[in-house]
Amino acid sequence: MVNSPDKGNIFDNTAVNYEKIVLPNPAGFKEKVISLKESGSVLLCLLCLEDPSSKDVFRLIYLFENFDYMQVSEIEYVTDGSAISVSELFPVASLYEREISDGFGVVFEGSYDRRRLFLHESYPDNFHPLRKSFLNGPIKTRDEIPEEDLYVFKRLEGKGVYEVAVGPVHAGIIEPGHFRFSVIGETIFNLETRFYYLHRGIEKLAEGKKPDECLKIAESVSGDEAASNSVCLCLAVERIAGIKPSLRAEALRGIALEMERICSLLSDCAGMLTDVGYPIGASPFMARKEECMRIIKRLFGHRFMRGYMRIGGVSHDIVSTELLVLESFIAGIEEKVKEAYNNAINSSTLIDRLATTGIIEPRFVRPLNLTGPVGRASGSRRDVRADYPYGIYKSFTPELFSSDAGDVLSRFMIKSEDIMASARFIKKIICEMPEGEINDINHEIPDGCAFAMVEGARGQNLTYLNVYNGTVWRYKVRTASFTNWLSIEHAVMNNIVPDFPVINKSLNLSYSGNDL
Amino acid sequence: MISGESILYCLINAGIILLLSPLFLTIVKKVKARMQGRQGPPLFQMYYNIVKLLSKEVVYSKTSSWIMRTTPVVCMAVMILAALFVPVIFIPESFGGIGNIILFLYILAFGRFMISLAGLDAGSSFGGMGSSREMSLSAVIEPTIIVVAAALATVLGTLDIFEMISKTSVADIATMPTLLLISVSLFLILIIETSRIPVDNPETHLELTMVHEGMILEYSGRNLALMELSHAVKQAVYMGLLIGILVPFGIINAGSLLIPGIIIAAVLFLIKGSVLAVVIGLFESSMSKMRFFSIPTLFMIAFFFSALTIIIEVFA
Repeated sequence: MVNSPDKGNIFDNTAVNYEKIVLPNPAGFKEKVISLKESGSVLLCLLCLEDPSSKDVFRLIYLFENFDYMQVSEIEYVTDGSAISVSELFPVASLYEREISDGFGVVFEGSYDRRRLFLHESYPDNFHPLRKSFLNGPIKTRDEIPEEDLYVFKRLEGKGVYEVAVGPVHAGIIEPGHFRFSVIGETIFNLETRFYYLHRGIEKLAEGKKPDECLKIAESVSGDEAASNSVCLCLAVERIAGIKPSLRAEALRGIALEMERICSLLSDCAGMLTDVGYPIGASPFMARKEECMRIIKRLFGHRFMRGYMRIGGVSHDIVSTELLVLESFIAGIEEKVKEAYNNAINSSTLIDRLATTGIIEPRFVRPLNLTGPVGRASGSRRDVRADYPYGIYKSFTPELFSSDAGDVLSRFMIKSEDIMASARFIKKIICEMPEGEINDINHEIPDGCAFAMVEGARGQNLTYLNVYNGTVWRYKVRTASFTNWLSIEHAVMNNIVPDFPVINKSLNLSYSGNDL
Repeated sequence: MISGESILYCLINAGIILLLSPLFLTIVKKVKARMQGRQGPPLFQMYYNIVKLLSKEVVYSKTSSWIMRTTPVVCMAVMILAALFVPVIFIPESFGGIGNIILFLYILAFGRFMISLAGLDAGSSFGGMGSSREMSLSAVIEPTIIVVAAALATVLGTLDIFEMISKTSVADIATMPTLLLISVSLFLILIIETSRIPVDNPETHLELTMVHEGMILEYSGRNLALMELSHAVKQAVYMGLLIGILVPFGIINAGSLLIPGIIIAAVLFLIKGSVLAVVIGLFESSMSKMRFFSIPTLFMIAFFFSALTIIIEVFA
């Protein structure tokens, strides 16, 4: 072990017990995982990193959470290339395991799905880009793909079953993703998604860079989550270095995060209404989003708040007169969104389209680790801001809304409520704005590792950072989209094909945040 | 049988409908945009589009056959033929079967058949889905349209559209109040047949929800121009029928055919059509698209009003 494990809790919640188990070998691992499964734990993340001291030795870190018993377990074991699959117990693990198999060449024994994930067929055999032995650079792709390496979709057969392939190129200007439907008539019987057309090697790109240089990389993980992903990286670095940002900086970060949430959710709400052919209901939401982005540009210097977050603080202060402008602006937003929401919710034809469409049952929340508005619309009461408060959320607790219906309508309602709650939250911060410095300029980042979690607009964004010899050894990002994408395959079941766009939009997940 | 007057009728009637139909379509778009707080396209946008498309290259899918190549021309021909059935300027004597409402409906049905066939022809899954949906819908809509036609025939005592309109243009609507009921049906048929919200979304970018747009997805260049123009003409023809039944004033009889009369009638048609286009735009803005499988309930409303008309006419 090179890095000394963190003392105390990895996330800031003193009420939660934190245990770290380091196993020298995989023996005993399975028993521990089974007991975690039986107690109702959720797999938050599974990641792999190469050991800095010895080549081709990999450390697998599993992060489990059990909120019923207020327990977070970090389990780590070392392997030289083969590992034990937990995907039968934690279905979401399948994605992580395939990701690690691609990135590091670690084989998971007993997994039910060994297809490639982010490396599509055209990448050569035995190519594992996250190994340190691979130096970042262009690679030669294969033109001819052998039969056994072709990606196989699940196939449903029977009378009248046919497949509809959608994407990766879509009719609108959206990101690429492939959806394979098995359909009888109009009813969907199976959907399989395939992504990673946008894979940019974000994690590899960060390696060898100084932590503050990585902020730009974190900002580009997903365009409209720039603030949450960069705050997430800042939190990890600050935890490693023991930096504590000033209260004012944390308040400004809080405003930025909530503004970002408002923008993202406004466009979700507009999108849902557009996709059921109700543009007159959508346009007020869309107009508010543009207004928000303009004021963000004015206050933070960039429409997506890029470059605003700094390690130990923020890049610039916002003077009190500007904060007053924001306060009155945000009060207007709250009012106008309320009006638009009431207008929408009073349209019977709209309710008819949204209610009972695309139901995600609450039983999927834990196995798939569904978070954010998607999880809360399906009965979850979880929110990183309340469960593991960071920054400003230590002093102010946000309002949380939740519903058990799990349909598009409940997601629409929760997202709208979230917008108004975020607006009230911003007003509260501005009212009690702390004074003081905003940036802690001189900081030395020692070696170490840390997890950090932030609640983005789409849910729980998680970052793991490992600093070795002053530079980033491993940067792992897991956005909410990575796990929430799994829910769409369940949400569309027994719905009809024409309802897919609105179900997709009600989740509105990021492709780039997933593909990295 | 074919007289000079009927040739003049063909030229003027089809010409006016062909000329004004893109304008009506753009007015609907403009109204919808204004309702959303947007500027919307300029009123002549669709004319520019058609001119642009006519000069563009045509691309065919490898799997397509002669159906894909002939459908745009057939569609345009069908719509121009249908335009001859609905007098908007003056009412000539019937000639060559032109004017029969049953024939009119099945000429339009032939156009729909060709579009659906061509949707399958390109071999794309969206075209296939569009065609399959269009056929499912038309199986439900056809009986409804026939009942609407039957209701018209019952009230006006004729199957000939020319005679229908010459009756409505001399009679007061107060003497035939059941025409108001039929107009509701006709308006719904207009919405359904021209693939508008709540049945289909004409501005959709969502390949998975498309019906009409799905079928014409594979067209390009002048073929796309013909498909779009024929769609506009179809809408104008249905609008012309509704106008002829409900507010026929201004349409002149063949006997008093004079140049000023023609101009006045054309201007009146332009005004009435524009007003109707605004109404369509407002109607579309007022609701979201229906779930695909609940669309037949809309047909039922049209069916109900027409069936009610027949009952009233027969038993009252």
